[in-house]
Amino acid sequence: MKNLIKSIVSLVCICSVVAVLMALTNAFTAPIIAKNEAQKANAALLEVLPDGGSFEEIDLSTYTLPKTVTAAYRAENGGYVVKLTTTGYSNGLILMCGIRADGTISGVACLASTETLGHEKTYGQNLVDKTADTIMSVDIVSGATKTTGAMRDAVRDALNATIILGGGSIDIRTEEEILADNLAQALPAANGEFEKYFFVEVVEGVDAIYLAKNQSGAVCVVGEQFIAVDAEGNVITECDAALAASVTAAVETISATETTDIDVTAYNPAPKTPLYYVESAKRTATGNYILEMRAVGYGILGGDSYHPASGEYILIRVSLTKEGRIIDCLTLSQAETDGVGSVCADEKFYGQFDGKTQDNYENVDAITITTNGYKEAIGRAFEAVKFLEGEAQE
Amino acid sequence: MKNNGNLSIFANGILKENPVLVLILGTCPTLATTTNVFGAFGMGIAALLVLVCSNFLISLLRKVIPNNVRIPCYIVIIAGFVTVVEMLVKAFLPALYELLGVYLALIVVNCIILGRAEMFASKNTVGKSVLDGLGMGIGFTLALCAMATIREVFGAASFAGIAIPFLADYKIEFLVKAPGGMVVYGLLIALVYVLTSGKAPQKKKFACTGCPGAEFCKPEACTMEKEEA
Amino acid sequence: MEVFKTLIVILLSSVLVNNYVLSRFLGICPFLGVSKKLNQAVGMGVSVTAVMLLATAVTWPIQYFVLDRFGLGYMQTIVFILIIAALVQMVEILLKKFSPSLHKGLGVYLPLITTNCAVLGVAINNITDGFNFVESIVSSLGCGLGFLLAMVLFSGIRSRIDESEVPRPFRGVAITLIAASFISLAFMGFAGIVDKLFA
Repeated sequence: MKNLIKSIVSLVCICSVVAVLMALTNAFTAPIIAKNEAQKANAALLEVLPDGGSFEEIDLSTYTLPKTVTAAYRAENGGYVVKLTTTGYSNGLILMCGIRADGTISGVACLASTETLGHEKTYGQNLVDKTADTIMSVDIVSGATKTTGAMRDAVRDALNATIILGGGSIDIRTEEEILADNLAQALPAANGEFEKYFFVEVVEGVDAIYLAKNQSGAVCVVGEQFIAVDAEGNVITECDAALAASVTAAVETISATETTDIDVTAYNPAPKTPLYYVESAKRTATGNYILEMRAVGYGILGGDSYHPASGEYILIRVSLTKEGRIIDCLTLSQAETDGVGSVCADEKFYGQFDGKTQDNYENVDAITITTNGYKEAIGRAFEAVKFLEGEAQE
Repeated sequence: MKNNGNLSIFANGILKENPVLVLILGTCPTLATTTNVFGAFGMGIAALLVLVCSNFLISLLRKVIPNNVRIPCYIVIIAGFVTVVEMLVKAFLPALYELLGVYLALIVVNCIILGRAEMFASKNTVGKSVLDGLGMGIGFTLALCAMATIREVFGAASFAGIAIPFLADYKIEFLVKAPGGMVVYGLLIALVYVLTSGKAPQKKKFACTGCPGAEFCKPEACTMEKEEA
Repeated sequence: MEVFKTLIVILLSSVLVNNYVLSRFLGICPFLGVSKKLNQAVGMGVSVTAVMLLATAVTWPIQYFVLDRFGLGYMQTIVFILIIAALVQMVEILLKKFSPSLHKGLGVYLPLITTNCAVLGVAINNITDGFNFVESIVSSLGCGLGFLLAMVLFSGIRSRIDESEVPRPFRGVAITLIAASFISLAFMGFAGIVDKLFA
């Protein structure tokens, strides 16, 4: 019994002595550790906003901000640091964006990413010193459009967020949402369902035409303006006469388009004529060509353990004048690597071919197997048109 | 263990009874923290501090601590010192703290420390215990540093974070990976065996009784050493 | 569904990718010491798994409901090691009393586990990784199974080593470590598998 009490007492004594020792050390080190941790958090913020001083986290629950904004810090000098989470190729591209008090960007850092090409590490440099008005003029890196485009859009969100946090108000809709809203406003009868028209004729004075899916009319985009036309071809949006005339002319042109099929199999498969990669071809009454090209991308050439080859061609629809100038271009289908090659389905990529001829289409940047194959297919379209023109002459 | 004076107590731990390379104690931190010299040195010094402090305190209290609760008492004392060292490292060397991570807290279950407490500090005077702790701690640190040097210089072409440019093209990255650590450790043990011409002491004489698993361990793990001697 | 995915990823990565013994170097002593025979390896592995699960089930609530609440985060190490020591002791007493046959099989391994750094390691890692209770339990289960797997695989290799003629300086621990490195090397092949599982 005596032994037991002695054991318990000594164990308790040792425990309490050790506990006191630990508590003392903790009291001594805790403030230093807290300071270290605050400094570390601060250092990450200072990296993107070097003259920020100290930072204070903002409670975001009371603001309506773009979805990409996950945290925001207000700096001593009136600047902001905004933390963003966006989706490039894979999930979770986490960015820190520093914005000075005057609304210019002081730095963009990428905290975490699993992107494929690594442009996110350096692209932030291009955005430094830009403002909400000038940021969209920064070029995205071709071939990595999804990553760098997502970064630029996220940084724009950050700029918008700081305006809201500063008490202002701003349009936080995405480009697609703005377009959809404008279309719906111009032609309410379409119920918001539109399809972009694929040009087969050279149409002057109109940038793009969206056809209502329910046949209730169309909306022509001219610069910043959205001009609606009803099913009978009458302009229903108020605008000046010259504009109305060019829109009417455009709608008339496109509705008068007639096409005849060309039997491409007659020239294929052997010998390999320039039509070898042409899936189908049509000729319009005015002599333009609409070709559907098979492009050889990563789906055919590539394939590794991570991204197996799909065995599918990229299918491109391209319309050309008989002189060989591209009128319009569109990716119909593709099964390229998601996020890398799949940029070929993005209008930002294929839109670059509009108006190109055989002499200057090489200027379009292509850095991946997919985009190179795409460019090659466009080159073959020029050859195909030459060949078909030659056949037609005979 | 016959003591031939204080110097030999101190020197024993460094080479003849080197805890890592001869007695094969503290294998976990030896393998885990030797990918770079800075981390290995930090780990060694942290363990040295805990070892010296706990040896000192346990030796001081050796007549007070009742025999039947001595192991819990030792664990509490060691855990206390480990936590103190952990907090100090976190406060003053945050970079080292991040490098060592959980292995710093795991000094608690490092058999070297409990083994020395049980085998030496509980039976010897304060002065001798501190010397023993110093020797063992320095031996541990040196062994860790030697291993880290091999792994970092040839595996990452750097030394304590300073790049060695002419080796950059000949990196053997295997060495800084997990299996590389095991191979280097195995080779070093064999090398020390050759150097000491197989006269290293047996593990069970030294630290096994300090281990709570000694009863079970003796016929099994420890015979591994016995068979050879 | 998301929850299950997370749990499966945690389980598989702690069994295969971040195997405690082979890639994080926790629990090396019993791995080298008690892997000589298959039945010992299984006994040790099962005991470690059970103690890991128990320890996590106790330390997780203690961390969040006691230590954090009272600002005693710095007591983590000392509290956890005492809890594990006490648990091991208790399990041994209970086993002895209620299931002598099980005690005969596993009881001998239990005292070794107190100083097994894998058990303390998993308890601390579950807190630092910010896992919730269920995730912590799954992660402990995975670590325990990973330990068991490594032990069982290695016991097979050990029996081969014992039969072969090894150069004198390498006999014992040296050759054992080098053999262990080959299993570790094989396990490196699992890196990346788990992340891509649901990608």
